[in-house]
Amino acid sequence: MDDIAQSLLKRLVRRIPRQMLQPTLEKWGRLQKAQLESMDFTLSKYALTEKLLSICEENDWSTKHITELELLSYIIDNPNVGMWHAYQLLDPEDDAHTVELMQFKEQFKSHLTELIQNVSIKIKKHTDEAVWIRLAWGESFSQPNHFKPTYVVHYLQSPYVFMTSLKSKHRPLLDQALVLATRCQSIKDANLSGRKLIAIRDLLMKQYEQVFPSKFPRHIPENNENARNPLIEQEQSALSSNRLQMACEAFGGGKLPEIQSAVYRLKTKFRGHAKNMAQRKEPFKCVVKFSSTNLLESLRSCASSGIASTPVTPLLSSIPLKGRNYFVITDNGPGSSQTLHQQK
Amino acid sequence: MMLFVFVGVLSRLSFLEAQSKQKTGAQPQSRVQELKTKVEELKKQRDRLRAEIFVHQVTSEILLSCLLLGIHDFFLFILGGYDVIKTNQDKCLCFSLATAYQGDILETYNIEISVSQPLRIIRHNIPPFIPVMTLAEETDMQKNIRRFLDTLSLHLNAFTMRKQQLKLVKEQHLSVEVLETNALCSLLVLMLTEPNTNTALLCSLDYSDHTRGLPTRVTIQCEGTLDLSGSPQWQKNTALLQNTPVHEALQIMRKTGQII
Repeated sequence: MDDIAQSLLKRLVRRIPRQMLQPTLEKWGRLQKAQLESMDFTLSKYALTEKLLSICEENDWSTKHITELELLSYIIDNPNVGMWHAYQLLDPEDDAHTVELMQFKEQFKSHLTELIQNVSIKIKKHTDEAVWIRLAWGESFSQPNHFKPTYVVHYLQSPYVFMTSLKSKHRPLLDQALVLATRCQSIKDANLSGRKLIAIRDLLMKQYEQVFPSKFPRHIPENNENARNPLIEQEQSALSSNRLQMACEAFGGGKLPEIQSAVYRLKTKFRGHAKNMAQRKEPFKCVVKFSSTNLLESLRSCASSGIASTPVTPLLSSIPLKGRNYFVITDNGPGSSQTLHQQK
Repeated sequence: MMLFVFVGVLSRLSFLEAQSKQKTGAQPQSRVQELKTKVEELKKQRDRLRAEIFVHQVTSEILLSCLLLGIHDFFLFILGGYDVIKTNQDKCLCFSLATAYQGDILETYNIEISVSQPLRIIRHNIPPFIPVMTLAEETDMQKNIRRFLDTLSLHLNAFTMRKQQLKLVKEQHLSVEVLETNALCSLLVLMLTEPNTNTALLCSLDYSDHTRGLPTRVTIQCEGTLDLSGSPQWQKNTALLQNTPVHEALQIMRKTGQII
């Protein structure tokens, strides 16, 4: 086993949480039964790494096998690798919806290797229909760098692609390969990013509980402790349940996808009382950023508790509605009504 | 007169459907059965009435006038039975498309449409692999919203049908291995085993017509020396798979000893 493979394995064992080590190795299925049984998972990670290294020597494994294990651990655990960015494929051809896994794999590999010979590609489909791609990029005269791989996740027959750790110089190559393999005409930035893949996926693909107006009022679970205490009566309960309904309609019910921030880039004229500012003809550029551990949950609480006015302003409700968290706002026309413009 | 009867029937039906969703657990069996028969009766009545209604082209002008005149229940009549409700936004309607299979109500999808000229889809909770925008263009939603909703409902019901069939295959046929599926449930590859010779057969079901719950093409392949796929029995099985929902077809094949 060469140095690279050894370092990769050591790094991988450090990264995988202790309780996930055994299930991941079992799922991988490459270790023989006896070898798996010989591993004592109560030992320290250092000891486990040493044991695993010796098993790898026994089986004569290379970087290829270790990268396969790394991909699998990412699929299973979705570790916090940095920022995930969402992209959208546009203008599918007529046969785009018949693209299935084998075809996509072949096409993607052949197109990407045409554009850049020195790249290591691994593709695996997860049970939830997500196709995971691991890419290690190499320069003209050096081996692919397995320590800084790019991960790409795509759901076949949906227009969405999620990427992380991609250098801007590699982006056009990856875009080209994806567009050709999925039989679409172009790909654009979906202006949505976050640390958790599942969160941005759920937001974009609408896999969370959306609340629609209904004739028969839903039973919305009240988190309010006061509601359960019969000795406390809420004044204006109709108003507060109305606010809650509107907050849920705007952001969703139940558990919301965990987005960490929303950025609004304003290019609007200054509105206010400061005389010298109001006289300026150029737009007043500023950036407003909302940050939170769970932004949508915070915004929904703001609306339901009355801190933010209801009905919820389209500036905020556009986050779940349009599935994006980066907006550029410009003035539109002499009436100076504000509109949301798409970047690019 | 028929209008009001129709509206009454539909309101009762929606109420029962909503009630059945809300009720949890402990219900005396007789009451549940009562409600079920009531639902069936009302459904039959609704279908009879639907068949008698002459369908006009439902344009945005008609919808707007209904909205302005305040006769919201008229929607149920002219739109052929979809649940419609006015939203808080100006001139916006929310349509509910229910899906069902073999007597069970499954997913309900919602789509909010702005009724002012031109008609615009605001939001929906339909999964991304069902091309809502393309369907809107193909059925010329601007000129006839009824046709768009009917087509969308057809796609959604067929998708739910296929998804449910796959779920039943996984539940009822543990000896059948599901090798390949996709999000739209338009492709299914199964591994079947013939009991006498223990041969493995690869069964591919292609559902290229997304408005149907039955496959458009069934292919059976056999690896190895014993090629059973050409035999008359397996040709019959291929026809069976093409004409019967997959979980029922597999049931029949298992009962007659074709597969394990």
